[in-house]
Amino acid sequence: MTPELARAARAEAVRNAARSWRGAGVIDDAQLTAIRARYPDDRSRMGPVFRVLLFLFTLFAGNALFGFIGVLSGIGGTDRGDVLAVLALLAGMALAFVTDVQLGSLRRRQGGIEAATSLMAISYVLGAMGWWVFDNNHSSTAAVPILCLIGALLCAAAAWRWGYPLYAGAAAAGLLVALSHLPLGRLWWIVLPLATAPLLLRLSVSPRLPPAHRASCTVILSVALAGLYAAVHLGSWEAQAIEEIGERHKQTPPGGDLLWWLALAATALMPVILLALGLRGRRYPLLVLGAGTAVASLVTLRWYVHLAPLWVVLAVSGAVLMAVVFALRRYLESGRDGERHGFTAAPLFQDPARGRLLEAGAAVLTLAPEARTIHEEPKFEGGGGQFGGGGASGQF
Amino acid sequence: MNPDVAQAVPELAESGIVPPEAAPLLLRVARGELLSVHGELRFLLYVGVLLITGGVGVLVKENLDRIGPVVIAAGLGLAALAALVWVVRVAPPFSWREVPSPNLAFDYVLLLGVLLAAADLAYLEVKFTPLGAEWPWHLLLVALATGLAAVRFDSRVVFSLALSTFAAWRGVSAGRLGSILWAHAGAVRWNAIACGVLFAVLGVVLVRTRRKAHFEPLAVHLGWLLILCGLASGMTESGRTGRAWSAALLVVGAALAAGAYRFRRFPLFAFGVVAAYVALSRLLVEALGTEAAEALGCFWFSITSILVIIGLIVAQRRLQEPL
Repeated sequence: MTPELARAARAEAVRNAARSWRGAGVIDDAQLTAIRARYPDDRSRMGPVFRVLLFLFTLFAGNALFGFIGVLSGIGGTDRGDVLAVLALLAGMALAFVTDVQLGSLRRRQGGIEAATSLMAISYVLGAMGWWVFDNNHSSTAAVPILCLIGALLCAAAAWRWGYPLYAGAAAAGLLVALSHLPLGRLWWIVLPLATAPLLLRLSVSPRLPPAHRASCTVILSVALAGLYAAVHLGSWEAQAIEEIGERHKQTPPGGDLLWWLALAATALMPVILLALGLRGRRYPLLVLGAGTAVASLVTLRWYVHLAPLWVVLAVSGAVLMAVVFALRRYLESGRDGERHGFTAAPLFQDPARGRLLEAGAAVLTLAPEARTIHEEPKFEGGGGQFGGGGASGQF
Repeated sequence: MNPDVAQAVPELAESGIVPPEAAPLLLRVARGELLSVHGELRFLLYVGVLLITGGVGVLVKENLDRIGPVVIAAGLGLAALAALVWVVRVAPPFSWREVPSPNLAFDYVLLLGVLLAAADLAYLEVKFTPLGAEWPWHLLLVALATGLAAVRFDSRVVFSLALSTFAAWRGVSAGRLGSILWAHAGAVRWNAIACGVLFAVLGVVLVRTRRKAHFEPLAVHLGWLLILCGLASGMTESGRTGRAWSAALLVVGAALAAGAYRFRRFPLFAFGVVAAYVALSRLLVEALGTEAAEALGCFWFSITSILVIIGLIVAQRRLQEPL
């Protein structure tokens, strides 16, 4: 990231915070304007709707242009994969240059176009590399880890240079997949997250790093810890899931041996450890991961131990969850100034209207009832009919 | 935790831009010394409602014979009643304007009560068939009752449930709009369009009459999505019929984009632009024919996409959508 881009991101963080303070009524419009003047925006930005539209249409335009060039040069539809790979590599490099220019001299950020060109740059370069790797290594056992490693390097470079945390997450995931192809792949999935987690935790709040790099560290940490949980999970151990990803020889592990018991203990303990660390340090990513892994471990428990019928498990867990939330809210609100141990149930500077709109949208998607079937008058079709009625299937 | 904000707050407080009495709280939040779990608690309540209603669904499906219909119906009814009685007891007085929730759980207990009552009604309908062949009317009953509850208790979530239930009564799944696109049934298509028009008009009425005007975005957005998906589903037809539906989508999408541009309705503007572009492209690709479609199609999509990008940048400069 260039120093200018980092400076712009730091100022943006303050402006965003000021906007949330204004939403909560802590400051007035004049004070918000004063903060904006003190931390000015030197970037050209778009609103969320225009950003999404520009992102989509840029992807569309870029890929159509590549297709058009391919068709014009006569490569499309032929077996000249090498020429297509060279073309993709050139296009990827050109798009990387365009992204760099947009984020640099053109001072664009959150504009949609530069995000789309960065994605296409990585995709085209990776596509070209993929062609060469697969062309030279006919066995996917060797080609996939090489390609994952190249992808991880490309994504890491993009995250570092352009400040997109999503690429950092993709880089971490690519590295884990590549490591799964090594001997003792599962061990790598355990050792690497454990070794890097303390450093990533520190970096994710380091004032020395710009906001985008801090966010990248948080995303890498989340992917690494999710990988760690997958590696120590009892079900993953029994199914040899990591070995399957690594396309390595699978051996069904004996149930009830030391490793099985270790996996069982880790499946139960890891959510507890994550939640404890998250609560102790008030670290949001750890709390989210702790909650997510806790749900996964409870589902695992249900898989192995049939405590009750499914409907009882669902209804009771829902009721218990709601009761826990009620109790937690009461506990937090009854504390001094409505807080306990640095946690509060008050919204503070969050925008509740936005959350409610999201909930309403989610309700349409998740709670909408099944539509009734509309029967129409059948159109005349030649070619014979079918027998039916009275429960008959119409097939003999 | 945000180190940049933590660094800025003391400077802003010193220069008098941030009120000195608010600075300590802002600083604590920025330093990560105080963390709000408000959104997370709401999310967990929503998940709790989903789990309970999911469990009820499985119960009704799998345990009809073992438990007995009367026990299930009575159990569901009692649970719904308990939730709704609590809601009625703590609900603030009615107002046509937006009413703040009395507490964090209010919306979710109301949602749970409504869903359990609807499940009970559906169960009674399946088991005892009081409406017989006219059973779809129970969806309308649920939609109306849910709508009334949404208005009385000022709940956007329940209002969205009312709209989607009404659409379900007309055979349209609002939760799976994509299915409309591939529904070749003309009746479903026309019902989707009619529901969409009704919802959009309802949104306008809510704003004009200043009665629950904050429900308008839900009604209008869902309405336009249904209209556009309904029209787009016609494009899957072949020949002249498909072209006619494409032309209709082009006209409606362009009109929506123009209207949304005028009234600064950004999501609706996006719906209109995408719909008009898809319809225009569909018409052109068909006109090109299969032989020329490959080369000219790529040319068309690259050039027109770039033109749309330029148009969007110009439109954003004029509209200045908030970040």
